[in-house]
Amino acid sequence: MNAERLFTWSNRWFSASVAATAGLALVSAIVGFVILPYAAPGTELSGLWDAICSAAGVPRAPAQSKMITPTFKTSNVVVNAQMLGPTDSRSIGRGATLALQCAICHGSNRQGQVDTPNLDGQPGAMVYKQLRDFQTGARINTIMGPFAANLGERDMLDLAAYYGSLPRQRGSRPDPTVAAPLIVTVGAPMRNIPPCASCHGSSDIKLGSASLDGHSAVYVKAQLEAFATGARRNDISQQMRNIARQMTPTEMDDAARYFASRP
Amino acid sequence: MTSPTGPEASGHDQGKAIAVRTEQRWAIVSASIIVLLVAMAIFAGIHRATMPQTWVEVADPQTLHISGEFVESNLGSAVEANGSVTVRVLGQQFSFTPQCMLLPAETPVTFRATSADAVHGFLIARSNINSMLVPGYISVLPARFDKPGDHVMPCHEFCGTGHEGMWARIKVIEKAAFFKLAADQRRLSCVDQ
Amino acid sequence: MLTNKKLILAHFWLAFAIFGVALLLGEWQMFARSPLNPWASSAELYYRSVTAHGTALGYVFPTLVAMGFGYAITEIALKKPLIGDRWAWAGLALVAIGAVTAMIPVSIGLASVLYTFYPPMIGNPFYYIGIVLVVVGSWIWVALMSINLAAWKRENPGKPIPLAMFANVAGAYLWGWTAVGAAIEVIVLILPVALGFRTTIDAGLSRVFFSWTLHAIVYFWLMPTYIAYYTIFPRAIGGRLYSDEMGRIAFILFVVVSMPIGVHHLFADPQVGAGFKFIHSVFTAMVALPTLLTIFTICASAEIAGRLRGGKGPFGWIAALPWDNPMLLAVTFSFLMLGFGGAGGLINMSYQLDSSIHNTQWITGHFHLIFAGAIVIMYFAIAYDLWPHLTGRALETGRLMKAQLWLWFVGMIVTTFPWHYVGILGMPRRMSSYDYTNPAIAPQALSVSISVVGGMLLVISGALFIAILIRGHRAEQVDPGEYRFSLAVHEPVKLPTALNGFALWVTLMIGLTLVNYGFPVAQLLALKGNAVPAIYMGTPR
Repeated sequence: MNAERLFTWSNRWFSASVAATAGLALVSAIVGFVILPYAAPGTELSGLWDAICSAAGVPRAPAQSKMITPTFKTSNVVVNAQMLGPTDSRSIGRGATLALQCAICHGSNRQGQVDTPNLDGQPGAMVYKQLRDFQTGARINTIMGPFAANLGERDMLDLAAYYGSLPRQRGSRPDPTVAAPLIVTVGAPMRNIPPCASCHGSSDIKLGSASLDGHSAVYVKAQLEAFATGARRNDISQQMRNIARQMTPTEMDDAARYFASRP
Repeated sequence: MTSPTGPEASGHDQGKAIAVRTEQRWAIVSASIIVLLVAMAIFAGIHRATMPQTWVEVADPQTLHISGEFVESNLGSAVEANGSVTVRVLGQQFSFTPQCMLLPAETPVTFRATSADAVHGFLIARSNINSMLVPGYISVLPARFDKPGDHVMPCHEFCGTGHEGMWARIKVIEKAAFFKLAADQRRLSCVDQ
Repeated sequence: MLTNKKLILAHFWLAFAIFGVALLLGEWQMFARSPLNPWASSAELYYRSVTAHGTALGYVFPTLVAMGFGYAITEIALKKPLIGDRWAWAGLALVAIGAVTAMIPVSIGLASVLYTFYPPMIGNPFYYIGIVLVVVGSWIWVALMSINLAAWKRENPGKPIPLAMFANVAGAYLWGWTAVGAAIEVIVLILPVALGFRTTIDAGLSRVFFSWTLHAIVYFWLMPTYIAYYTIFPRAIGGRLYSDEMGRIAFILFVVVSMPIGVHHLFADPQVGAGFKFIHSVFTAMVALPTLLTIFTICASAEIAGRLRGGKGPFGWIAALPWDNPMLLAVTFSFLMLGFGGAGGLINMSYQLDSSIHNTQWITGHFHLIFAGAIVIMYFAIAYDLWPHLTGRALETGRLMKAQLWLWFVGMIVTTFPWHYVGILGMPRRMSSYDYTNPAIAPQALSVSISVVGGMLLVISGALFIAILIRGHRAEQVDPGEYRFSLAVHEPVKLPTALNGFALWVTLMIGLTLVNYGFPVAQLLALKGNAVPAIYMGTPR
């Protein structure tokens, strides 16, 4: 057989298929990049080049509009995996020293305290974010505010590193007979209540969230109520307020009692 | 299969020619169906039946709560100078903020929405509003509701364990009632209702 | 001429074993989210199960079928033993090891990201490594198909490549290139984050890369089915293939236009420009062409069989077809499901109609009808047809096979039609549970329950299928004769170079991909400030 050359315009299969593909691409590009953008209302095109760029997906700056600024302090913490920087033993050591003044309320050996969270083994991201929010006034607490005001950025990072490095302590009142209530395992989807477990333990812990296992029931209930009424507003963009607002008092009790009973 | 030779060949070739002709006719019918479908899409595009967002806008997902139009106090429904309504919505695990959106009936509405973490879905039941929120980008969706009523608004893209609990609400009210509420320039929502 | 029977059987058995397990998971998921389930199942388990079901059936099962069938086609159509059978075993081992590696983190809840990955959610790195191994294993197959064809062409200069092999290699090239998108996504974007080298990811760019794979992967799943339509079905019902060349053109069209159209999965995404969405939409319309051509050619081939059997008149040939033949039954069911599913596909393809059903249960219904319906029913038929030649034993021919195919067809319709319907009602997909007591959702309860019943039929059918194959290994030994593919009415004697190779078509495929994806990808790569922190799944810390 004398080899028929393929990649040459004189081969009708080559010329026809390349022409058809390129033609189709060209026609659809003209329609997609020129005709349709001009037909779109409210795009305010400054010309052909603008039409092509916007259809191609070159980003535009958002139009300036009047903003409503918050009337209260909101959290300005950027929560991500690098927020704490690298953790080293020196940082943990400094954190341990600083934590001496916290231990009376937040350590495993705290005495008779039922309304404060035990921070041993809590995620560092959560510890840091709450300290920062106390400091900026996004979270308001008469006791914690003054404490946090005196902490430097390094101090807060060290405290976060220290608490994050500790093993989680046993809950104060483990009670295996308390079954997980529906609000914790299933939530109430149509009221926009996801399962507590999907961010606060068991299934998953969302970055920046507290691990609630073993937390004081009084504390958990009080925070849920504070989120529901808007007394506490340092959750970013209402993440927790959206949920707490929808919970009934019974559901709050159930969740608080369950987490307190966890080992 | 042997190749045709001699007198058989002409019959064979004739049969083949008929087969090819029939085939070509069918190919033309198929191609016409496709041309028709594409023409319908172009027609719908020119006459602005729902079409894809015409431009791309970006927003840093990590600092949405600190600056820019998606800060907490700026979310919700805002009345524009031209009488239309802009609704700014933020999606994050596992809720939309505002959790209940208040809108006027018979008014052009534009949703501007983005995500602060995972990819979320944006679907308003019993409407044609159906889009995606991708962190880093702003989704701009034009809408219009003909009559007052309530709609559910599930997130329809898997966004983590807890995704099944991500349902917001939309409340469409009479135009006059809405603009009366909007008179004091706040951002409106129906979160407390 | 089948020499590597064990190799082919190993592929099929691994495929069908995985299929059986994933089928059970699928039915459990349908039950778990239905009103038949008391309202307390674990969402977390559900998402694990969805991840396992999708990964097994999307990446592993059809890949193994395509590989095993591909090796069979190579030996039968080229009439010579497979070159590189050791490599083929290595490929199979990689797929098997990859599947196990991926499934371990999934089953312990460390990678519930669903088979579509969904960055910025990030699962355990072994999940992604496992999938990469599966893909690398399948690329060995792609290379072997190419090498075997090249060797045959050298020995048979100028002779037309047998259609079955031509289509098989088309599928291999399609997959080889199509898998590149997800491979880039996993290796360049996701794995560094999963391994902790980076902590942020561009979710929009990841979705663009995934769309590169996401659509054409369906055509890869489809290839064995279409090969069976063209090269097994006409012979099995005693007819001839209407046109060999039209078959080639259909497969060529799949190679060229099924790839650069994936952005239609991103119609609703804010990170891709409207112009590219339109271009992809036009090429998506084009991909209907090979299917329309196939329907014509296969129906015409059936008509030839009917008339050869004495059928007369415009419809008489239909009655004259051998309706007790399982292959005919399978193709009929497959076409019916392809028809319904294809109509649904045209709806998805149009931006306007898509916006009413995007990401609802309609979509799940749609791709189950196409893949689990039209495509998988032909996998069954292929296995039935090949089995005696692989085992050297007779296969139960009569009632059981037909019952199995009927059950699969009816089950699939009962499962997917209500599924489509609740999608139109606005039921979102990928949710572990729905509150059917809510008035907004209550109307969907009945349809969802009907789907569960359909799923039960599918489970019974799947069990029956596996039982039939197992019986085939114990049956009496027979000599099934030489396996042959269908002959065309006019067998090609000499083909234009273009139709007897892939150089032009693979060039067009790659070129068109660059045109359709190049700018959107480059543009997103250049963007700053749109990266989002990774959300690590299932790793309490």
